[in-house]
Amino acid sequence: MEDVVARIKEKFSSRILKSEEKSSRRIYLDINPADIPATAKFIFKDLGCRFVITTGTDTPAGIEMLYHFSQDSSGKLISLRALIVDKKHPQIESIAPIIKGAEWIEREIWELLGVNFIGHPNLTHLLLIDDWPEGKYPLRKEER
Amino acid sequence: MSWKIKALTKSLWVFHAACSPCNNCDIEILDLITPRYDVERFGITLAGSVRHADALLVTGVPNFKTKERLKMLYSQAPKPCLVVAIGGCACGRVMFRDSYNSPCRVDEVIPVDVYIPGCPPKPEAMIAGIVKLINKVKGK
Repeated sequence: MEDVVARIKEKFSSRILKSEEKSSRRIYLDINPADIPATAKFIFKDLGCRFVITTGTDTPAGIEMLYHFSQDSSGKLISLRALIVDKKHPQIESIAPIIKGAEWIEREIWELLGVNFIGHPNLTHLLLIDDWPEGKYPLRKEER
Repeated sequence: MSWKIKALTKSLWVFHAACSPCNNCDIEILDLITPRYDVERFGITLAGSVRHADALLVTGVPNFKTKERLKMLYSQAPKPCLVVAIGGCACGRVMFRDSYNSPCRVDEVIPVDVYIPGCPPKPEAMIAGIVKLINKVKGK
């Protein structure tokens, strides 16, 4: 079984800001938001990991984006963590052109958290109605 | 009792309208219509289209999207159409009343004839609810 984490670390040693092993099967890798597409492409295309989901959380420091990938043969779960500091106009490059399965979750994060995905093929409302008021993002802290 | 109303007391054809539920009520409805509880022995069966249905089973709390679809479904149903709200969400909005995507209750969109609370209600409760509904239609 090839060690996916070692290969990511070997390829992107300069980009990984911090790596955290919660357990032997759960690894978090902190990277800059700008490095997300290239890293996600390497993990998905070259290492053959499965894209699980993207999650977004509104934290006091900024909007935390997590990209979860799974190597099903070993049961390892790798999460790329990127913090978008600018909470006024959060934006990140879309991974939907690389990973088709990320298209809908990015639409959902866009409408619920207000993260603008640059290069997304179809950034329209998914769960909310089409005439949802602009600038109102229900999963932001200030909406509570 | 008009013949139209009388027909409703015999064999109800139901249409299942899932209005953004969590699917627990839907699983119990499946239990209700499959051999374990088998309400088909009373003539109650699922209709593939709301245009063939006598009753509408509504589960879940409507959101902005399903609210419009529920209204559309009810307008397509042949009248008189009975509406059964199944589960706590459809009876009142319970924990979703302050949700950003919950505009109204089911009975603010369409008239509801019988409420079956529970999270999810047991198939026995649903059968009891349908019996009460038929008695209500008969005017008992």
